[in-house]
Amino acid sequence: MRRAVLAAIVAALLCITSAAQAKPPRIVALTPFGANTLVKLGVEPVGIGQTLGGQERFSPKLKDVTVLPLSHPNGPNLEQLASLDPDLVLSSPTWAKGNESMGDLGIRVLVREPRKVAESYSQTLAIGRLVDRRKRAEALVKSMKEGVAQARKGIERHPSVMLILGVGRTPFVFLPNSWGGDVVTKAGGQLLTGGVESSSGFERISDEVVVAEDPDVIVAVPHANEEDIPSLTEYLRTNPAWATTSAVRNGRIHISVDNSLLQAGTDVARTIRKVRRLYLEN
Amino acid sequence: MARRTLVFAGLSAALALAVVTSLAFGAVAVPLGETIEILLGNGGGGPHQQIVETLRLPRTVEAMVVGAALGIAGAILQGALANPLASPDVIGVTGGAGFGAILIIILFPGSIALLPVGALAFGLLAAALVFSIAWSGANRGSTGKVILAGIAILSLFTAATTGLLAAYPERAPSAIFFIAGGLTSSGWDEMATIWPYFAAGFLCAALLIRPLDRLALGDDVSASLGSRPHLIRLGAAVAAALLAAASAAIAGLLGFLGLVVPHVVRMAGGTSSHTFVVPASAIGGAALLAAGGTLARTLRAPIEMPVGPFMVVLGVPLFLWLLRKVV
Amino acid sequence: MDTGEQESNGAPMLQARGVEVEIAGTPILHGADLRVERGELVAVVGPNGAGKSTLVRAVSGLQRLAAGAALWSGRSVEEMRGRELARARAFVPQRMPVPAGVTVREAVTIGRSSHLRPLRRLSDADRGGIEEAMERARVTRFAERSLRTLSGGELQRVQIAIGLAQEAPVLIADEPTSQLDLGATIAIASLLRDLVSDGLTVILVVHDLALAAAVADTAVIVSRGRTIAAGRPTDVLNSERLAETWGADARLTEHGGRTALHVAWTGLTDRGGDEAS
Repeated sequence: MRRAVLAAIVAALLCITSAAQAKPPRIVALTPFGANTLVKLGVEPVGIGQTLGGQERFSPKLKDVTVLPLSHPNGPNLEQLASLDPDLVLSSPTWAKGNESMGDLGIRVLVREPRKVAESYSQTLAIGRLVDRRKRAEALVKSMKEGVAQARKGIERHPSVMLILGVGRTPFVFLPNSWGGDVVTKAGGQLLTGGVESSSGFERISDEVVVAEDPDVIVAVPHANEEDIPSLTEYLRTNPAWATTSAVRNGRIHISVDNSLLQAGTDVARTIRKVRRLYLEN
Repeated sequence: MARRTLVFAGLSAALALAVVTSLAFGAVAVPLGETIEILLGNGGGGPHQQIVETLRLPRTVEAMVVGAALGIAGAILQGALANPLASPDVIGVTGGAGFGAILIIILFPGSIALLPVGALAFGLLAAALVFSIAWSGANRGSTGKVILAGIAILSLFTAATTGLLAAYPERAPSAIFFIAGGLTSSGWDEMATIWPYFAAGFLCAALLIRPLDRLALGDDVSASLGSRPHLIRLGAAVAAALLAAASAAIAGLLGFLGLVVPHVVRMAGGTSSHTFVVPASAIGGAALLAAGGTLARTLRAPIEMPVGPFMVVLGVPLFLWLLRKVV
Repeated sequence: MDTGEQESNGAPMLQARGVEVEIAGTPILHGADLRVERGELVAVVGPNGAGKSTLVRAVSGLQRLAAGAALWSGRSVEEMRGRELARARAFVPQRMPVPAGVTVREAVTIGRSSHLRPLRRLSDADRGGIEEAMERARVTRFAERSLRTLSGGELQRVQIAIGLAQEAPVLIADEPTSQLDLGATIAIASLLRDLVSDGLTVILVVHDLALAAAVADTAVIVSRGRTIAAGRPTDVLNSERLAETWGADARLTEHGGRTALHVAWTGLTDRGGDEAS
């Protein structure tokens, strides 16, 4: 009889401790990559970050999660963040000042924003380790890699692409070490960079180089809406500076308004396919 | 007299040199002989012709027009307000233009084609606000009132601009290009829309040269000569606003030029006479901006840097040297 | 209506009546009169704050008239503009700002600019006018010097030259000698007197009563915003008037080409008394 009671007590204790261990950590994800990755790993964050006027794409499963507006320089409002009582914050280098302040408040911060497709694999694994979903993360990464490999199959042509950010006719180009630059490269495009390198991943190059290197395709990533696409396309098409480029002469000018090229996402394969189909036509 | 002629000659030579280098140099190496052929109309098509005709030539002309406009705007404001620190910034134009441009870049990025219009409109609005404050109530049109009103309106628009940038940080890098100043590479498009404002401003400025010389002898002597001092000041402010707003619309914020070039020209020529200072500031401003623009394009080619800092780099040592020599 | 180019000998160069002026809401002149005949030197005198400067500025068109009229050869100052105004009268302020790097000749040329249409160059007649103005004002010998290198007296003569370049028949000088030493004052005084002998009409605002008596044909006394007397200086500036208006126990005398003001500096003696100073 005593042995049975002892066994019952031990079993009960084990249940309680394992239940305690099974309590999920409270995570706030300030980047869409972090938020969507968590969802794919079966973990629901207690808060997600969204920039003012931003076009972040979030999984539909996140629609009931508390949204923290992000603004310069801290990112989220630190009091709001603290009230969510997070165990961990997945943040981005953009909010460097805020990250420091969060650390001072005793909140654990991990700064993770993939800038290359390969980094998204390693960071997915890292997040998996953090939330104790290692196996799921490995499976996820495996399917991501497969998806990307599939998306990259049968690339026939490597057109030269000028991928520009932001304002109108300014050739502020994405370099290979930017997210969008890496995605387009993986999709088979050759980035027009004028041979420039920069740690920030972007640089403003001269229109003379654009004329000399004659891109086949121009893709612009402005902060605009769907309905602006026709007028922006026309605006770029009529830029006298680029009139002689193949891109303009063949009408291969595209505008990307979602932020799939601006920020790391978890659906890289889909982005690559879209880039190939719509922009590179390869 | 001889000293002034010498200064004019020097400035003209500097302008000629700046124009030649602006046409000859850029991110892409175009042999000088080919450049000349293209300018004479014998280009054989191809990227080099596009570069010289559609990129370098309009930029050079723009640099000359904007440089001259800002130099003149600074000269007439310093004369009209009898204050050596007067510049187009002081009448609120640069602040308003900056706000107008950033407003479009950040809140209406789909309408980016309207950027010059936004900058021009808000630049003129800011100037209009300054004028309406400064020309009302007691001491209407007095220098002190204009400057204080200008500072207030400038602060207002600068704060609004900063607020926009802080609220939308990921759009901020696009805005930097405008703030730091840059000559566009859109062929003749922008100049084609904005040139009437330059023309009006230049004309007003030319008509103001003699009245400003009278104003330099004091309000009383001006009145004795049949002029109306506060109308001269208003006219100068309007002309300066037109020139500065039009300049900001196509070249971003380059207020430094309007402040420093008239002083350099005055120190070099040894006179404050407007018949000398206004045209000399025009030539000097054109030379400085053309040279600065060339440097911005070629120093770290193929990276294109903003023009603003380069004008400062070129202008300030000259200014300091003259200051030591003359004062 | 006659634009004033021909006046008969009887018509005054300036006829101002009932002039009222307000500055920043404060009434300064409450109905002052001023009449100036061709070829005379009129001294406008009075205590500080009486409104002397305001009166001459108002009749010259530098200050708005709240009421009253000022007619230059029959033409109202309020109707005149630009070149017409510049040719009716030349106003010489007490002290003008001195810009850097401007020579005397350039300054006088600016004075001449009232004759020029916008964007037109100087004609030979204009150049001649500039030389003549400098000669009459006795500044030709430093025509190429920068304004900033001049002494007070020299600068005042240049200011007069600028006024003369306008070729107006009337010159108004607002206290030209108040900040000058004795020698410079004498130079200005004799210059003005010589100009009048040559046919110029001069209105002179002046502090120094002995000076006024010496040079003026007519003296006009302004006190508390009104003109209270006008006439020959020695008549008008009698001891009674000096006591009433200036609160001074004083007497103006003229003897052997010199004028003098004898003043009991340390205070008023018995009003009816006959103390020698």
